[in-house]
Amino acid sequence: MNQHTSSPTPVDQMVEKAVLDLGIPPCPAILDRFMVEARKDEPDYHRLASIICSDVSLSASLIKTANSPYFGARQRVRSVNEALVILGLNTASRAVAGIILRKSFPTVPNMERFWDASSRFARLSGWLAQQLDTLALPPEDAYTFGLFRDCGIPVLLRRLPSYESVLQSANKEVELDFTQVEDAVLPTNHAMVGCVLAQSWWLPEELCLAIRHHHNHGVLATTTSPPPLLSRKLIATTQLAEHLVQQQLGLSLTQEWGKLGETCLNLLDLDEERLGALAVEAAPIISANE
Amino acid sequence: MNSVDSLTGFLNRFGCFHTAMRLAAEATVNHQTFAVIWLDLDRFKQINESFGHLIGDEVIENIATRLRPCVFGRAEISRVGGDEFVLLAPGCNRERAFEFAAELARIVQEPLNIGRLTLRPTASIGVAIHEPNEDPLTLLERADHAMFAAKSQGGNTIVCSGDEPIPGRLGISLAREELSIESTLHEALESGGFCLHYQPIIRANGQVEAVEALMRCKFEGETISPMKFIPVAEKTGLIIRLGEFSLLQGAMHARALQDAGHETKVAINVSRAQLISPEFTRALHAALVCSNVSPKLIELELTESLFMDISDTVQQNLKEIIATGVSLSIDDFGTGYSCLASLKDIPAGKLKLDRAFVTVLPEDRRALSVVNAVTQLGHELGMTIVAEGCENQQQIDVLLEAGVDAIQGFFYAKPMPDSELLPWLKARSNNN
Repeated sequence: MNQHTSSPTPVDQMVEKAVLDLGIPPCPAILDRFMVEARKDEPDYHRLASIICSDVSLSASLIKTANSPYFGARQRVRSVNEALVILGLNTASRAVAGIILRKSFPTVPNMERFWDASSRFARLSGWLAQQLDTLALPPEDAYTFGLFRDCGIPVLLRRLPSYESVLQSANKEVELDFTQVEDAVLPTNHAMVGCVLAQSWWLPEELCLAIRHHHNHGVLATTTSPPPLLSRKLIATTQLAEHLVQQQLGLSLTQEWGKLGETCLNLLDLDEERLGALAVEAAPIISANE
Repeated sequence: MNSVDSLTGFLNRFGCFHTAMRLAAEATVNHQTFAVIWLDLDRFKQINESFGHLIGDEVIENIATRLRPCVFGRAEISRVGGDEFVLLAPGCNRERAFEFAAELARIVQEPLNIGRLTLRPTASIGVAIHEPNEDPLTLLERADHAMFAAKSQGGNTIVCSGDEPIPGRLGISLAREELSIESTLHEALESGGFCLHYQPIIRANGQVEAVEALMRCKFEGETISPMKFIPVAEKTGLIIRLGEFSLLQGAMHARALQDAGHETKVAINVSRAQLISPEFTRALHAALVCSNVSPKLIELELTESLFMDISDTVQQNLKEIIATGVSLSIDDFGTGYSCLASLKDIPAGKLKLDRAFVTVLPEDRRALSVVNAVTQLGHELGMTIVAEGCENQQQIDVLLEAGVDAIQGFFYAKPMPDSELLPWLKARSNNN
């Protein structure tokens, strides 16, 4: 790709602005992998697409760009794959290469865990949606939700200096909802920030509401009030993905499964036996690097 | 039981019903018919709420004085509600009743001077003709229903019973239209059919005070008027989603303007549904955090429906909004539910006078008196006064003379898409 010589196209500019507006930096390891592939004489565009799909910042920026009036799509896209179809793999890859070369993204400290977790949760959520076919949950939706569920965290880390310590307390909290810990000391929480962001990318309402309520046990357990069932299934699927990742990697970074696990299993109609089998089948997906 | 209305001297509701019973009995015996003409003044509630009940009573007395000679000898007239008159006209068939109603409508429409204020009242009129053996209550209900149909068509019109949608259909057709709009709104949400346009507000010295963000909806190439979609969005709760979208988009645009060297305050409309939610301030903070805009560049315009009931949650939200550094303004002041108590209860720094007071200027001296008084009162409270709906230089002249601080209206600029706002601001700052 000869990005060095060409001047930025309107799409390049829109993607770049979207990355800057979003305020979440792309993962450097993903950018490296992207550039290794992009610099080949004949880059594999499908591989470039799969690399982009694993990064929150790049995915969100491409979805936002594809959903902008500039493209005038009849229906808004609801996943990065659909965004790549609208934009064209070639165009999208050039735009991404352009912003990498210009280094036009924000810096946020302590992002490693977020980058790692979001791509793993997305991948495993999409896989779980395929396995649990009785849920009738579109795997693309599960992937998108897994990727963006916690996108409010890096935004708050960047804007509020005290957020890191709040995050640590919330991760350790065994009784209160995660967001209740945030709300006690901050004027907003990462679920609300993520929801407002997702709304601004025109993601479907069910995804936005799932982001907004993903720590809210009361909302998850109810069957009579919003959010819709699809939102609750998304929450349960990614919560299970998080649990399986933490179980396999020997990490216990949050207490969420203890608070939400039973409700999630009910929503997913899973018993302990099936859960055990899923954990074994999921192992290679969890340990994969991309 | 007293059957006379004390304000007009006409029959009251009780007298009306008794007369209808008598006429129905006579009509059956004499094989004749009679008509019921149900007349309801349009926007009378607005007059009462804007100018008080004393002025309201003056309007009713004045209308009654006009109707009396026209009705004399032709019909029994009664006042059955605040602004509702019922005429019972013996020997009137459908055609004559319609002519009679049209004559009444013309009389009502004559300009009406209340002190220095000139009103041009209109009426919604329903007509029903007594059917053989029909009981008077059913007849009165049919006339009332026809009047309601006339009102639903926008007022200032006459509907004969039987010509309106059959009983129940009216509600259904309205509900259908709302459902159709609601469905379009959902599709527009899915297809990104909403955006914000911005209308500048200009200070007396020519500087830009702020820009108001106004929601626009376009679906399949067709623009849907905010007058149509906002009420449906409010009814269905979609207004919360649209409101949150406006918060972030407006804040992002304020930030973009700031980055481009134009520190311009963006005023964002907030609905009652948003403000009664304890989640509101979290959504506001989320928008501030995501946009990283200075709160002093954001203003929230509180719509009049908020003032129906200022609950503890609303009070708490208002306090928290002020604590963030975001400012508040009271929109559409002087009409609907807004009242002087809102000035006491809401910590707003700005008051926007409703266009109803502006569009009648400079001729309407009474409206000007209201503008003068409200401006003085607002200034006493340390508020900035903005006049909305200003369309010509004469209006600007009288408004500025009255002490109004800033003007919004087509005279300066129509609402424009975000892509046009920055060039507009640049051109204006170059010209100044």
